[in-house]
Amino acid sequence: MANVKVTINGKLIETDSTRTIIQAARENGISIPHFCWHEKLSTAGNCRICLVDVEKMPKLAIACMTNVAEGMVVNTKNERVVNAREAVMEFILINHPLDCPICDEAGECKLQDYAYKFSQGYSRFGDDKVHKNKRVEIGPRVMFDAERCISCSRCIRFCDEIAGVHQLQFVNRGDHTTIETFPGETLDNPYSMNVVDICPVGALTNKDFRFKSRVWEMSFTESICNGCARGCNIEIGVRNNGILRLTPRTNDDVNSNWMCDHGRLDTWKHVNAEDRITGPMVRKGGILVDVGWDEAMAKVAGELKLFNKNEIAFIGSAFASNEDNYVLARFAKEVLGSKHIDRMSHRIDGGDDALLIRADKTPNDTGAALVGIVPGEGGRDIEGIVQGIRDGHIKALYAIDDDIAQHPELEKVITKLEFFAVHASNANKSTRIADVVLASSTYAERSGTITNFQKRVQRLRPAVVTLERERALDGLTMSRLDKFAAPNDSWGKGPRRDSRASWRIVAAIGNIMGGKFKYMTAEDVFTDITHTVDAFKGLTYLKIGSKGALLQ
Amino acid sequence: MEKYILPEIPDYHTLPVYEQHGGYGALKKALTMKPEEIIDELKKSNLRGRGGACFPTGLKWSFMPKGTAIPKYLAVNGDESEPGTFKDRMIFELNPHQLIEGILIGCYAMGITAAYVYIRGEYGKWVTMLQKAVDDAYAKGYIGTGILGTEFSTHIYLHKGAGAYICGEESALMNSIEGGRGLPRIKPPFPAAFGLWGKPTTINNIETIANVPLILNKGWEWYSKIGAVKHPGPILVGISGHVTRPGVYEVPTGVLLTDLIDEYAGGMLDGKKLKALIPGGSSTMILRAEHVPGVTMDADSLKAAGSSVGTAGMIVMNEDTDLIRVITRIAKFYYHESCGQCTPCREGTGWLWKILKRFETGDASLADIDLLLDVANNIEGNTICALGDAAAWPVQSMIKRFREEFEKRVKPVQALAV
Repeated sequence: MANVKVTINGKLIETDSTRTIIQAARENGISIPHFCWHEKLSTAGNCRICLVDVEKMPKLAIACMTNVAEGMVVNTKNERVVNAREAVMEFILINHPLDCPICDEAGECKLQDYAYKFSQGYSRFGDDKVHKNKRVEIGPRVMFDAERCISCSRCIRFCDEIAGVHQLQFVNRGDHTTIETFPGETLDNPYSMNVVDICPVGALTNKDFRFKSRVWEMSFTESICNGCARGCNIEIGVRNNGILRLTPRTNDDVNSNWMCDHGRLDTWKHVNAEDRITGPMVRKGGILVDVGWDEAMAKVAGELKLFNKNEIAFIGSAFASNEDNYVLARFAKEVLGSKHIDRMSHRIDGGDDALLIRADKTPNDTGAALVGIVPGEGGRDIEGIVQGIRDGHIKALYAIDDDIAQHPELEKVITKLEFFAVHASNANKSTRIADVVLASSTYAERSGTITNFQKRVQRLRPAVVTLERERALDGLTMSRLDKFAAPNDSWGKGPRRDSRASWRIVAAIGNIMGGKFKYMTAEDVFTDITHTVDAFKGLTYLKIGSKGALLQ
Repeated sequence: MEKYILPEIPDYHTLPVYEQHGGYGALKKALTMKPEEIIDELKKSNLRGRGGACFPTGLKWSFMPKGTAIPKYLAVNGDESEPGTFKDRMIFELNPHQLIEGILIGCYAMGITAAYVYIRGEYGKWVTMLQKAVDDAYAKGYIGTGILGTEFSTHIYLHKGAGAYICGEESALMNSIEGGRGLPRIKPPFPAAFGLWGKPTTINNIETIANVPLILNKGWEWYSKIGAVKHPGPILVGISGHVTRPGVYEVPTGVLLTDLIDEYAGGMLDGKKLKALIPGGSSTMILRAEHVPGVTMDADSLKAAGSSVGTAGMIVMNEDTDLIRVITRIAKFYYHESCGQCTPCREGTGWLWKILKRFETGDASLADIDLLLDVANNIEGNTICALGDAAAWPVQSMIKRFREEFEKRVKPVQALAV
């Protein structure tokens, strides 16, 4: 509610009196430098870099803690402010180590950026710097360098206010101030690694990512975490066609500025893993043998033709995209006429919390159900399929992107199948049994959409290239190589795997068997979904954008 | 002159002797008055805080919200950690009941049911003394529930600090009482709106509170005529340094600094000449000897002389004093005591000390004088609390008034052999 008028740098701004100067300025495109202030945390007011000149106030005021008031006149760049800012920068830098060449934060460091923007460019400090501990294992996933710390208290406030656990504290005084965990505590809360993102310097670093890459040698792709039904918005950092890290991307409707440590660490290692299925394979004489796509798909089509429609079952996947599941459902129901289609549940009761983590450990259960991965009229669900295999009614099984053999009941009977085809990105229990293994792309290699527990559709974008992807860009963002012809970048080197998006594999097999799938891209599939599934009506990839769109 | 804060009566610190001399009479009188009448009396008396800022006490009390059911608190600041300051200790020792009586009057006037007395941790002995007085007052029904048969109830708790100067800063003091780290809070909100545990709180200095019973007993007119017109009343002056009889002296405000040295403290030690004087604790600006005559111990006179009354902890230095060592030691104190919250003070206080060390060892250059001044200027006014200022002022004033001392200590430039 705009109820006050203030002037910032000569620009008249209408805002409301609950806003601080830094908020009002930010909302109107004026940036005021800040280290300790964070939009999602309480205000500490300690770094003093946001000092601004407010008319009628004798001293400079901190923009983060001073509320706007009617008629207030603020100057954020006059000589007084510039001098104070330079002074604060000089103070911070006198005891800050010259670690930039070996510091992980370099390239995305607030202090480094501000040193270029707001500092004098030279130091008047000729004495010895204060020395502190350089490598403190402050938690199992976070490393602390006390010398780099500028005591902004963001990490302490994050633990207290967001993670809800009091694990960090200041100890000692003056320039010997440092951060420690409380006695008997370690920084091990499920959200601990967010402190790495909000640390304005390289004091808190991600142990998993430390020393892996300079950030400017990576390319970043907007995507969605696949760790649970929340669908936290993320950026995937890639170099040499391998994922090096995930970081949260702000989306106030989904995950605010945060993500959990499990999502950050455990949801992408399989993309780079040694056990990747690097191309289609057919079992010959008991051994899986690498074959070409044509042979593998012809094999599947040929086998499926041998069975009656009631003898074939399909298992979609809450790990696969809406597009993958939609094409599978159409293939099953329209091309083969099977009603036996369902998906596995990966819900862990009690495996959720009050912040982000959901009990459903899949990213797209909601979407899979909506686009047709539910048994047809009189069709078998998972238990029915298991029973059908057990009693010999179900003889062929086609499953995508889920290690279904992990299901204890299914595992007991799965070898009774006469034909079993599976899409997989990595070797697993199911691929050890399957007759045909179709190499499917991971969530980080394909374009598509997933639907979170709130029924919010969000976009997956390819961050890692496959052989297929090199021929059809389908959603791939530009890399540094594309933008700057920088050779030291993401997609120039590294392995190329012959995997394909599941929807593309299913559509191709479907077409061999008489289907008429004419999709060129994932977006084509999505457009089809919007025409046939009411909840998706009117949506486009453009409308989903980078923040997602709620289904009707 | 008669003594009102530290009367020269044997065993005045005991309850019976205090009562014999009319003790707790002011409380009895106060309980017959309306709270606003007491605050009005205080305002008219012109009592100003003795903790350093000289803020009018009655005005401060009037900031507390009235007619509200939410708890309110009084915090009495006896942290007294500024180098050169040791006056409140004498009140704990010699006149604790007058302090207690003042606290009770304050609680009554502001509708407060709990008061905290914060005493520096090094004052273990004095905590015991004050606790004894509090216990005695509880036993006689001066403190507790239904005080002196009225409906007024209040409690007094002593809180011992743990050795941090910053906990004498009023908002850090509140955090310390709450059990938190002694970090100053950003103002606003001010304590009268958001103080201890987020509730309205008034913070007064020990000596300020000890003045309150006097005003109720003898009336604002009597009080306002003691000493300097705009800063009246008795004041405890702690004199240390090169004088014959260092100690705490109760004087009316407005006494000449030269009289304090010559008449109260027995003159300069060994008849040496005065070189410099810090009038109100180590953070107040230093005065050159030639600027001391005519200056009096009150807010206006010291302000005019380019310093401030502070805590009236006067440090006297004779002609043999190495002022570079003095300022280096003062800078080290503020470096050691900076809480580390705000960048300029956290980083700047250490830098000041490091530069000053170079002057002390003769390794400084002429340019270091300007650097020193610049660093001090960059700290001043840019921090949450006044510790940054307290660290900057002594350095600024020392350079301003004794620049030659710095110039004498600069490393000589070696002539090039041709």
